[in-house]
Amino acid sequence: MSLVGLAECKTRNVDSIKKAIREAFSLIDYSLPKAEKIVIKPNMCYYWDWSTGQTTDPLFVVALIGLLREEISSDVEIYIVESDASAMRCKYAFKYLGYEKLAKDYNVNLVNLSEVEAEKVTVKVEDEVFEFSVPRIVRDADLCVNVPKMKYMFFTKISAALKNIFGCNPYPKKFEYHSKLDKVIVGLNKVMSFDLHVLDGLTVCGSKTLRLGLVMASQDPVAIDAVAAKIMGVNLRSVFHLRLAEKEGLGKTSFVVKGVDIDYFRRRFPRRSFSEKVIALGYRVACKLGLDKRLI
Amino acid sequence: MERINLGIIGLGFIGKVHLRNCLNLKSIRVVAAADTSKKALNYAKTFGVKQLFTDYHELLKLKDLDAVIISLPNYLHAESAISAMEEGKHVFLEKPLARNPEEGREIVSAAEKNGVKFMVGYPFRFATEFVNLKNRIESGVLGDIQLAYAVDIASGPFFHRAEIHAPIPVPEWWFNKELTGGGALIDLGCHMINLLRWYLGEVSDASARLGYRFNFDFEDHATCLIDFENGASAVVNVGWFSQKTALGVELFGTASYAQAYRSSSNKVITAIKLILGKTPNYFIPYLREISHFVNHINNCDDENILSGEDALKDLEVIAKAYKKQIK
Repeated sequence: MSLVGLAECKTRNVDSIKKAIREAFSLIDYSLPKAEKIVIKPNMCYYWDWSTGQTTDPLFVVALIGLLREEISSDVEIYIVESDASAMRCKYAFKYLGYEKLAKDYNVNLVNLSEVEAEKVTVKVEDEVFEFSVPRIVRDADLCVNVPKMKYMFFTKISAALKNIFGCNPYPKKFEYHSKLDKVIVGLNKVMSFDLHVLDGLTVCGSKTLRLGLVMASQDPVAIDAVAAKIMGVNLRSVFHLRLAEKEGLGKTSFVVKGVDIDYFRRRFPRRSFSEKVIALGYRVACKLGLDKRLI
Repeated sequence: MERINLGIIGLGFIGKVHLRNCLNLKSIRVVAAADTSKKALNYAKTFGVKQLFTDYHELLKLKDLDAVIISLPNYLHAESAISAMEEGKHVFLEKPLARNPEEGREIVSAAEKNGVKFMVGYPFRFATEFVNLKNRIESGVLGDIQLAYAVDIASGPFFHRAEIHAPIPVPEWWFNKELTGGGALIDLGCHMINLLRWYLGEVSDASARLGYRFNFDFEDHATCLIDFENGASAVVNVGWFSQKTALGVELFGTASYAQAYRSSSNKVITAIKLILGKTPNYFIPYLREISHFVNHINNCDDENILSGEDALKDLEVIAKAYKKQIK
């Protein structure tokens, strides 16, 4: 069973967030290793800023940077990475979501993974072989920290730690992967293994946006996603990429939660209503039947 | 009534809305479409449009074409509309008329010079809520309107492009002020200013406070203060920062007050109607404005509700507000 640490952060300021992250690390007995180059992968899926709960709060990343510099070294080189997506361009997302200012203020580097050196790697997931480009910066980093959000997603039911690594794939037309998304997510996690997963649940986006004040940490992406699914009220067995990730050895869906009681967050999370679930199912069916092509 | 042979230039989001609406209008035959994107042209092909062009100039050469709907980026409005008018085509141009009043005047003069019918797309002028509000003013039930408030807060160019079936990035031109002519004020403000001018008459002065939440060089929100010649004044709030749309007008008169807000449409019903090729309720005003355009070409509707001159006045108010900024 994997350890997952749950801490609460009631106030959105750097010191409180840093304290909560530190607490979550200590709950899972995690000590930051020596490192010169650190990669941080927030969620910047689209141009919706932190206040919507859809993307990682830059203040969360600021707190994490502060902690890394305090615990490891003030000279550590930090790279915040993201890649272009079907509907999003990094050069605008960095500016729009507040990361350009963050990079300037805290002397960190912003990297568009779609524009840097990468090497081709093949990976087998179940019976299928995929070829992905792995950015050298991710491969060469001493420490890779994944900072996902927790959200519902039409195609994969949930989006959290495993799904956030989808954003490390430099190929911009990510929509092309949607028909095999579960396998692709698992494949990418196999070729880009992150050391630590710190979930920003300060503001979450469920059926509505809500300040949840959750900070969650684990070294196991599968376990942290399993906890996220439980908080969101999603049956673990229905999340195919989670089951597949466990089968492929990326982690365990069985977990031990330490810190704040999981039910405390589960009760408050804005879960989807029955009708919203039906709409999500309808959309998935429409996509399968190709009817979505008639939409605007 | 004579059936109009129509071409659609630009198949972005609104271009596609117009295409689908035109297919539901018996008075129109969509004979051609033009767009630089082959994917967009394929979309038109699936709806039965036969003649497809990647260069709109080629479309304009079609002899049997009576009119065009232009839904191109703002910076191409003047060039494309004037080209179409010079080819003798009637033109329906998406709002805003142009990037600035100078360009707007060139378009309006070209329409006059070439003797073609010209309209600018302001669908809310055909939305039942706003038409009812106009009727209430005309009936006198509100008395004399002294103050007004208009709001159009949405996500603008950043709308849910990630969630549609084939996601595309926000087109680059939206990020370039030179190509758009401005930000949220020109993009959404023109709708609200047009409505308020319809309700309250001509504007005597305008100023604006521009906001930059997302750190770009164009405003993503703005508050515009407007004085009208009849002594009324209005506050217009526009923004591109919200996932939820708020679109409405409130009027305060000496006898009473009234408000009209566009209600959001049910996503499921909208999706079903789109799949079935019908016009969803939200897009009915867009259908009505095109219907009015065709009636105007056929001289059935004498008055051109959405004239170029009218849209030019909106642009002049916006230019005045950009010039007179409140810090």
